[in-house]
Amino acid sequence: MTPRRTKRTGASFCRRTRREFLWQAGGGFTSVALASMLSQDGFLASQAVAADGTSAFENPLAVKPPHFAPKAKSVIFLFMYGGPSHVDTFDYKPKLFELDGQTIPVKTKGRGGSRNEGRVVGPKWKFKQYGQSGQWISDLFPHLATCADDIAFLKSMTADSPIHGSAMLQMNSGKILSGSPALGSWLNYGLGTVNQNLPGFVVMLDPSGGPISGAKNWSSGYMPATYQGTTMRSKGAPIIDLKPPRGVSRVMQRELLDALMAQNNRHLAGRVDNSDLAARVASYELAYQMQEHAPEAADLGQESPETIRSYGIDDPRTEDFGRRCLLARRLVQRGVRFIQMYSGGSHNDKNWDAHGDLVMNHNLHAGATDQPIAALLKDLKRQGLLDETLVIWGGEFGRQPVAEYANGTGRDHNSYGFTMWAAGGGIRGGVSVGATDELGSAAVERPLHVKHLHATILHLMGLNPNSLSYFYGGLDQKLVGVEPIEPIREII
Amino acid sequence: MHSRHTRLSFYLLLPLGCVLLGFVAPTLAPAADDAPDFSRHIKPILVKRCFSCHGPDKAEGGLRLNDQKSAHGELDSGEVAVRPGKPEESALIARVLSREEGERMPPEGEPLKPEEVALLKSWIAHGGKWELHWAFRPRGKPSPPAVSRTGWVRNPIDAFILARLEKAGLAPAPPAGKVALIRRATQNLTGLPPSPGEVREFLNDQSENAYEKVVDRLLKSPHYGEHWARHWLDVVRFAETNSYERDGPKPNAWKYRDYVIRSLNDDKPYDQFVREQLAGDELPKPTVDSITATGYYRLGVWDDEPADPLLARYDELDGILTTTAQAFLGLTINCARCHDHKIDPIPQTDYYRMLAFFRGLRSYGTRADQTSCNQTEISPPALQTAYQQVERRERSLDKSMREVEQRGIVKMSAEEQRKTETRERQQVLKEKLQAYLDETEWKQYEVLRAERETVRRQRSQLAPREMVLSVTRCIAQPSPTHIMLRGNPHVPGAEVGPGFPQLFDSAPVEISQPAAGAKTSGRRIVLADWITSPDNRLTARVIVNRLWQHQFGRGIVRSPNNFGQIGVPPTHPQLLDWLAENLVQGGWRLKRFHKQLMMSAAYRMSSQGNDAGLKNDPANDLFWRFNMRRLSAEEIRDAIHFVSGRLNAKMYGPGIYPDISPEVLAGQSRPGEGWGKSSLEEQARRSVYIHVKRSLITPILANFDFPETDSSCEARFATTQPSQALGMLNGAFAQREAAFFAERLAREAGEDRAARVDRALQLALCREPGQVDIDWGVGLIESLIQKHQLDEKQALTQFCLIVLNLNEFLYLD
Repeated sequence: MTPRRTKRTGASFCRRTRREFLWQAGGGFTSVALASMLSQDGFLASQAVAADGTSAFENPLAVKPPHFAPKAKSVIFLFMYGGPSHVDTFDYKPKLFELDGQTIPVKTKGRGGSRNEGRVVGPKWKFKQYGQSGQWISDLFPHLATCADDIAFLKSMTADSPIHGSAMLQMNSGKILSGSPALGSWLNYGLGTVNQNLPGFVVMLDPSGGPISGAKNWSSGYMPATYQGTTMRSKGAPIIDLKPPRGVSRVMQRELLDALMAQNNRHLAGRVDNSDLAARVASYELAYQMQEHAPEAADLGQESPETIRSYGIDDPRTEDFGRRCLLARRLVQRGVRFIQMYSGGSHNDKNWDAHGDLVMNHNLHAGATDQPIAALLKDLKRQGLLDETLVIWGGEFGRQPVAEYANGTGRDHNSYGFTMWAAGGGIRGGVSVGATDELGSAAVERPLHVKHLHATILHLMGLNPNSLSYFYGGLDQKLVGVEPIEPIREII
Repeated sequence: MHSRHTRLSFYLLLPLGCVLLGFVAPTLAPAADDAPDFSRHIKPILVKRCFSCHGPDKAEGGLRLNDQKSAHGELDSGEVAVRPGKPEESALIARVLSREEGERMPPEGEPLKPEEVALLKSWIAHGGKWELHWAFRPRGKPSPPAVSRTGWVRNPIDAFILARLEKAGLAPAPPAGKVALIRRATQNLTGLPPSPGEVREFLNDQSENAYEKVVDRLLKSPHYGEHWARHWLDVVRFAETNSYERDGPKPNAWKYRDYVIRSLNDDKPYDQFVREQLAGDELPKPTVDSITATGYYRLGVWDDEPADPLLARYDELDGILTTTAQAFLGLTINCARCHDHKIDPIPQTDYYRMLAFFRGLRSYGTRADQTSCNQTEISPPALQTAYQQVERRERSLDKSMREVEQRGIVKMSAEEQRKTETRERQQVLKEKLQAYLDETEWKQYEVLRAERETVRRQRSQLAPREMVLSVTRCIAQPSPTHIMLRGNPHVPGAEVGPGFPQLFDSAPVEISQPAAGAKTSGRRIVLADWITSPDNRLTARVIVNRLWQHQFGRGIVRSPNNFGQIGVPPTHPQLLDWLAENLVQGGWRLKRFHKQLMMSAAYRMSSQGNDAGLKNDPANDLFWRFNMRRLSAEEIRDAIHFVSGRLNAKMYGPGIYPDISPEVLAGQSRPGEGWGKSSLEEQARRSVYIHVKRSLITPILANFDFPETDSSCEARFATTQPSQALGMLNGAFAQREAAFFAERLAREAGEDRAARVDRALQLALCREPGQVDIDWGVGLIESLIQKHQLDEKQALTQFCLIVLNLNEFLYLD
């Protein structure tokens, strides 16, 4: 009847697979029920074979067809945690330079509450126009400036909260309330992952620590844990518990797993109708393969010295973010669906939260990330991956044009207007959408909400943001909420 | 918002649900001689195929099929669409069967399927009534049906199960073996495996009531309360922190957890348990227990720095209402926060009427004051009096001292005076005061000071005050409650008072004006009384379903938080009502009820499949066999401690902190913050005692599907994923406990490898291993020693690790 209905019939209900429907509906994962459900998918047959250890593991992350042909296959979300100042980075406001030091009426709301006037802090970096498109970029990003024509700027972003905790949750899960699945969870739920040997949703943290609220930012919320983010490191064992303990060689672990499988198969005989048992046997094989594939994926030693240098891995200032950017590219090559990297961690000036000394703070964080990000965009392009890799840059909000305190250059939070950018993966480069007022204090032209960004990401990945839903608590939950939301067409 | 498109898509949802349910549960269609259920079988057909022309929006030919009066009445054409008892005289049937183009209904699309027409006919033959959804109807009092195989029936539960099986031509599975049965009973009641001694005793007990003795013993075990408390904690979204940026602790949240454990172990009647949580402070005689129970209201997430304080306040109330409605009533009233419920007959008014019951509650706190609205002192009255006396004395002494001090201060230099207004006051007084006082004044001051010191010492000798997480400082005269337009608290609409959902036709709520000086509005006790009234249509059904769910592996209603029309219909509606009635008649006592479930033949069936069952009822809708299940996250962790010999049975008290690796802690903005350190012995306590920090769930629990902490969890997932395998093979916890397990074997089973393997498998699998199992274990140990140069201890440890990874260890038959 309607396209929507067609989508819902067949193997999925509210975009849930039959397995998930049963999890939801059935007092947990009722194995017996599954036997019947899955046998119709041919799942049972393959699982029964999987007990021999040679067949592939089929799990809820198996690839699912998108709603329509996608532009992008993977997303790299560069999360500038703490909130970078848009008027010092990409949102050029000549007027602000003039007003530097003057107290003017302007409505703001941040950590320090709501105010009606403030002392303007003029932008601390010069702006120039770059590329054929002539996009304005400040001196904080000399490397990134060379990619201006690949980037689409969203200069009228808004969020519902100027407070880190709830704003982070919103940028990551669409809701300022705690407890909903993250964007990466939605993508893996909607699309599955093409590489079963690696997690489909990877999070790479800043060495200074995680963001506030920690794992809540990559939680799968009310969805199964299958869809939650896995933290991955660019040094040492890349994934938690990946490395066998000392004294356990790979050959020995193989033998242990063979012994495990032998005994499990004896147990399985007489219980063959329970596909969970076979699935669990197969999951050990996948774990065994991950132990081989994940370190290989994380092995930057396979990269050329030029590549290493281009990412700034030879420079202590850019080494860490450079390693993570390079790892991100390697993960994209291997089919990882969603990768999120945090620039900045912990609290205060360990991230972009420049309440005190703006110059020191932004020089530090832009300095650590500018070259690696530019290298990532160019590297992706060179490898022909940029077209299918959507790169998103931004924080949970921006910063105010005025000072937070009587002295100094620090700026308070600003969720009324800020800038994010996107590149690759079906994005039209060299454009800019929306605008803030002449002070950069609030979005005035084509205001965009976090929901629009999420809708755009889902859309480019081949999912309809208004029909990707998950039934929970009596409702069809959606990443973008109840009201239909359009993707940002101007940049697609 | 309420565009045609939106509405249409919601209508579409219904039939689809049924298509799927048909798929899940092919046996759910009524047997030939049973009346079809209107909401389950008939309404979906009408909604899907008829409503677009004959429904709430349009009434072509004068017919509305959402309205019994219209359908039973005379239409514009003079016909009657539905003539009760007479399908052959009903135009509805004639029209759907018509072969004439233009005559046949529906005019578009495929004609109705023969089985759909048969359902309609049978429904009309049985009266053709527009009946309320089954769960919204008063409970019936069904009698156990007659069955032919009477020998199988041990109690009335079996009659309900067997009657359906016989109708479907299926036989119940044979009884489970004794090992499977004691393991099932012990895990299901206590969350722990039986010890080898307990298994042996049961196997050796040939008496008629051997099993009954086991059940009785288990129901007396304090571990019963620990295990079943966790089921309840899932439903009420128990956690001990607030989430958001600081994820700060909720002081004394563990006392609520202990309250639940104690209540279950004491076999507190369920209605009392509910009343205490909802209105423990409004009971005629509040007790420490009942005040602690109101910690229920303080368990949710709470943003200490909300971007929109008014919205945050309503979100907080929504959390309470959503949880209360789902936990106690199985109703998704939350769907009506912004608009009328799309599926169930719950208008938006109902949401705000229900919300009004909670309007006397204060918010959890403010960023500056995070205790005064959620902590109640419950120290013994004598101690409270002692503290009050000491405090009164302190205040009076402080006042006298300040008077004397002031006499000196006014004579001091301006600079010194200023300093006395700062933190340096004590310093200045110590150095200078004597110089500015005369001798009498100084003596007087010294006496006061000495006395003050004595009082301070008295105070330090008093036992510590005891506080509980609870509601407190409630508002006796709450401000009015308004319907919020589209759920937006900034757009208040009409005012409403407290009231129950209209679909229940309850008597209007009457709440007397609180007496002068009343501490609370008295609204919540009215709500609690209504919920726990024996004839509440949902309460008893909802709780017996939860008890059944955790005993049989799935609820009779598979959506335990949602008994509404979008939930999953019961597979055994008669049984559900019988159980509900039985619980109420039994004084809401849960232990007696558990015993009844467990003594049934249905509970004692094997989980073995057979061809007929697998073919005809693969989803086991009819309970022709017992459902296998994987242990829950806590059960896995506890069982590991149980077999490694380290399980610490200490009960109650503040939460414990299992070691969490630095790699996991690195995800926090301040690694390690809010996570304490417990000794190895404390860490080996049962998992229900682990501190629940919303942003830092203990990895082994998270890996095995610990529920999301921020909203009610009706049923856990049981996922299978490689991160579980990695954790169980390589994780520090599994490795450590495997080593303890190996030490235990060496200690208890001597030097002989076969004896060690034998002991290991008895502990982990609760059964006597066969020769093939012993050979398997010994072979593995030998190979590790010979091929991989491990010493005896290392090899035994690796063997133990593999035992902890066996499917048989994690799954119950």
